[in-house]
Amino acid sequence: MEFTILDSIPDLTNFKSFTDRYFSKRYILNVDRIKNNDIMLMFHSNRITLLSLAPSHFFFKKNDNYKINFVIGKIDRLSNSVKGKGKKGGQLLTAKSVICKIEYNDGESFDVPSCMKGTLIEVNEELVKHPKLLKEMPDSNGFIAIILSSIAISEATKSELLSHEDYLKIMTNESSNNEK
Amino acid sequence: MNQKTIFKFCKDLGCCDRCCLRYLGVKIPNAYENSNEYVARFQDEPTSNIKSQEDIQSNENTTSGKDNVIVTDAVTKSDNTCSASVHTDNDSDKDIEGIQDNATGDVDSDNIHNDNMEYKNGILPPTKRRKLHHCVSCLGILQEDTWPDTNLMLKEMLHKKSYECPTFACALSAPIATLLRERAVTLLVREAYPEYDPNTLTPLKEAWKWSYGAQAAAHVGRSLHSGAVSPLLVTVNMEYPHEMQELEILKALSPSLFESRSQQRKRFAVEFTRRAAEQALAGAAAAALRAAGWPAPPEPAAHARCAAVHAAHAPLHLAGRYIKLSRELPQTPWILNGVRMMESSVQEIIFAPIAAAYGLTPEECEHRLKFMSAGREDVDVRCLGDGRPFAVEVTDPRRELTEAELKRVCEDISAGGKVVVREMMYVTREELAELKKGEETKCKTYEALCIKLSHSEHEHDKSPTEPVTVTEQDIANINSYSNTSEPGVRVQLVQRTPIRVLHRRPLLARTRHILQLSAAAVPGQPALLALRVRTSAGTYVKEWVHGELARTAPALQAALRARVDILALDVARVHLDWPRRAHPAPR
Repeated sequence: MEFTILDSIPDLTNFKSFTDRYFSKRYILNVDRIKNNDIMLMFHSNRITLLSLAPSHFFFKKNDNYKINFVIGKIDRLSNSVKGKGKKGGQLLTAKSVICKIEYNDGESFDVPSCMKGTLIEVNEELVKHPKLLKEMPDSNGFIAIILSSIAISEATKSELLSHEDYLKIMTNESSNNEK
Repeated sequence: MNQKTIFKFCKDLGCCDRCCLRYLGVKIPNAYENSNEYVARFQDEPTSNIKSQEDIQSNENTTSGKDNVIVTDAVTKSDNTCSASVHTDNDSDKDIEGIQDNATGDVDSDNIHNDNMEYKNGILPPTKRRKLHHCVSCLGILQEDTWPDTNLMLKEMLHKKSYECPTFACALSAPIATLLRERAVTLLVREAYPEYDPNTLTPLKEAWKWSYGAQAAAHVGRSLHSGAVSPLLVTVNMEYPHEMQELEILKALSPSLFESRSQQRKRFAVEFTRRAAEQALAGAAAAALRAAGWPAPPEPAAHARCAAVHAAHAPLHLAGRYIKLSRELPQTPWILNGVRMMESSVQEIIFAPIAAAYGLTPEECEHRLKFMSAGREDVDVRCLGDGRPFAVEVTDPRRELTEAELKRVCEDISAGGKVVVREMMYVTREELAELKKGEETKCKTYEALCIKLSHSEHEHDKSPTEPVTVTEQDIANINSYSNTSEPGVRVQLVQRTPIRVLHRRPLLARTRHILQLSAAAVPGQPALLALRVRTSAGTYVKEWVHGELARTAPALQAALRARVDILALDVARVHLDWPRRAHPAPR
C-alpha cells in the first residue's frame, strides 16, 4: 500500500481558478442608473463576499492612469479593523455605502458602492500600491473588499442578483446587438 | 475534659457509637469498621488514660478480647467482624435484635436513654422489647440497620451496569439535616466543655466510607479504594423523610439569608442547599438553636434511606493513528444547516466498531464516545504515512476491550478502505494531554501537486500563447529559495486567516514557517510540479501555494516567479510520536 501525490493528478481540462472553485459570482448592472457601472459580488459558500468590478464595467474601457482612494469623506476604509470571531468593530455598510473611489489623473473619478448590507472585514490594501491589479485581475488578486453579511441577507442578495450564466447571456446579446 | 466524658455526653444526646467516635475526632478507619470493639475503651473503666490518637492506636493491638466481653452493643448491632466472645455473650441479646430488624416507626427516646443506662450498669433487660434507636446525628447512616437496603440497591446497580472493574470507590450524598444536627451536637459539647475543639469532628462521609464502604466491599465482591485510585465511583444518595420540615429551623437561625434567597427565586431554584445550610449554620450559637426550639437535636422519627445509587466509571481513552485515503471524507460529521454534506466521516468509521465492541446503540454513541485528534485535514486532503494521532474517549465504560477485540476493531475500521488504523491502545490522561499539546507544536510534512499558471519571470522571451511548462530552472529556483536567515527555517510567511474559515475565526495575520521545501517535475505533465513541504503547526499549505488573493505573502509564487495553484494535497507525515508503541494496556 504505497500512496503518492502523483496518483492524484486530476483532469486538467476542467481546471478552475481559485475564485471559480470556491465562489459563485453575481452581478448588478448599471448601478445608480449609470451605464455600465457594473459590479460583481463573489459569494463564498460560507457567505463571505468579495466585492469587485464586473468585466463589463466602463472602467475597463478607459486606459488612463488611476489611483484607488479608500478615504470616503471622514471614513478611512483602510483603518477598518475587526475583532474576534464576531468581527466586532468593522465598518457597517449599506448597499449604497461607497467602498472606494477610482480617481483618474485627468480629475475624473467614480465611486464603487458596496451593493450589499453587511460588515466590512477588510479592503484590499494591495490596490493602493498596485492599482493595476484591479484592471488585470478583477476576479482574483484585484478584488476590492471582503464583506460579511448575515446568512439571511447574503442568501437573499445572492438569489436576487444576476447569476454568472445570465450575465454571460446578456453580455453576448449586447455585443451581438452592438455589431448589428 | 477527657474522651470518655465526651463519648458519654454524645451518647446521652442520642448519638450512635460511630458518631460518638466522630465527635472525639477518631480518624482510624478500623475504629469505624469495627466500632463495637473500639468503643469499649470509652465505655468501661479505662485500662489506661487515653490522651492521644497514637495512644489509641498503640492500645489497639493490646486490647484483649476480655474488654470486648463487657461491651454491649445496645445501639449498634453486633456485626460479623465482632470477636466470637461477644457473640456468645450476647446471644440472648441477638434474638432481640433480630426482632428489632423489622421494627420501624415511632421511637421513644426516653426509653432508649434508660436502656443505655441499664446497659452501662451491666443490667440487661432481656424481656423488654427495645425499640430501634436512630442516631440523632447521622440519622442512621452509620448504623448497620440502614445498610442492607443500601447494599441491595448498590448490588443491583453494579449488576445492571456489569462493570468488570475489580475495585470501587464510594461517595455519600447525605441529607442536609445531618449538617444541622452535627452543628447542634458540637455546640452542645462546646457549651458543656469549652475546651472542646469542634474542628476535630471526623466528617460523616469519611466515617461512612470506613464503616459502610468497608462492609459493602464484601457485598459487591470488589475491593474498596479511594476515588483517586479506583476508576469506578459509586455514589449513594441518602434521603431523610423529614428533611424539609427540619431545615425550616435554618430560617429561624438566619432569616435574612433565606429571605434574600426566596426573593431571587430564579437564581436559587432550591430553597435549601448544602451551601446555604453551611452559611446559615456558620454563625449559629447554642442559644439561637435553643431559641428556635432545639435544646438538643431531637430523636429522628425515621432514619435516612437510600434513595438512589449512581455508578460511573472514569472515562477510558483509546488511542491510535488514522490514515485517511479518501478525498471525499471529512474528519468529523459535516452537517451544514442541518443537512449532511458527506455521507460518512473518519470519526464515524472509527466509532462504529468501537460502539459494536462496547454494545452501544447509535444514540448512545453520540454522548458516550468523543473523538479527539492532533489537528485535522480538509475533506479533500488525504492523510498518509503512518497517519494522524487520534483518541476516542469512552464515557462510563463497563470494561476494557481485550487485545484481540482491539485488533478486531482496527480490522473493521480498515475494511472499508477509506480509513486505516493499524493499532489501538489505551492511554492515560497524561498521554492524552500530549496529544492536545501536540496540536499546537507539531510540524507536518505535506505533498502537494501544483500547476504553473504563467510563464516565469525569466521566460519573458516566451509568447503568452505558448504552453506553460515547468523547467529545470523553475525546480532549481524553488529548491534554492529562502527568504530568511533564521536557523532551520526556509521560508517565513504571514498568513491572514483564510477566507474559507474567516466566518468562524477571528481575522488575524499570523507568522508561519516552512522548514523544508523541495520540488520535482511530474513525468508526463509539463505544467505540473510536486512539492514536499515541512511546515510549522498551523500553516495553511493550500493558501501558501496559491497565495489566496495575496492574503498569504510571500506565497509559492515568490519562489517559482510565476503564478501557481494547487491541485491536490496529502499529509505525508504528522511529526508527533503518539501514542508511543509498546504501551502496555492499563490493568
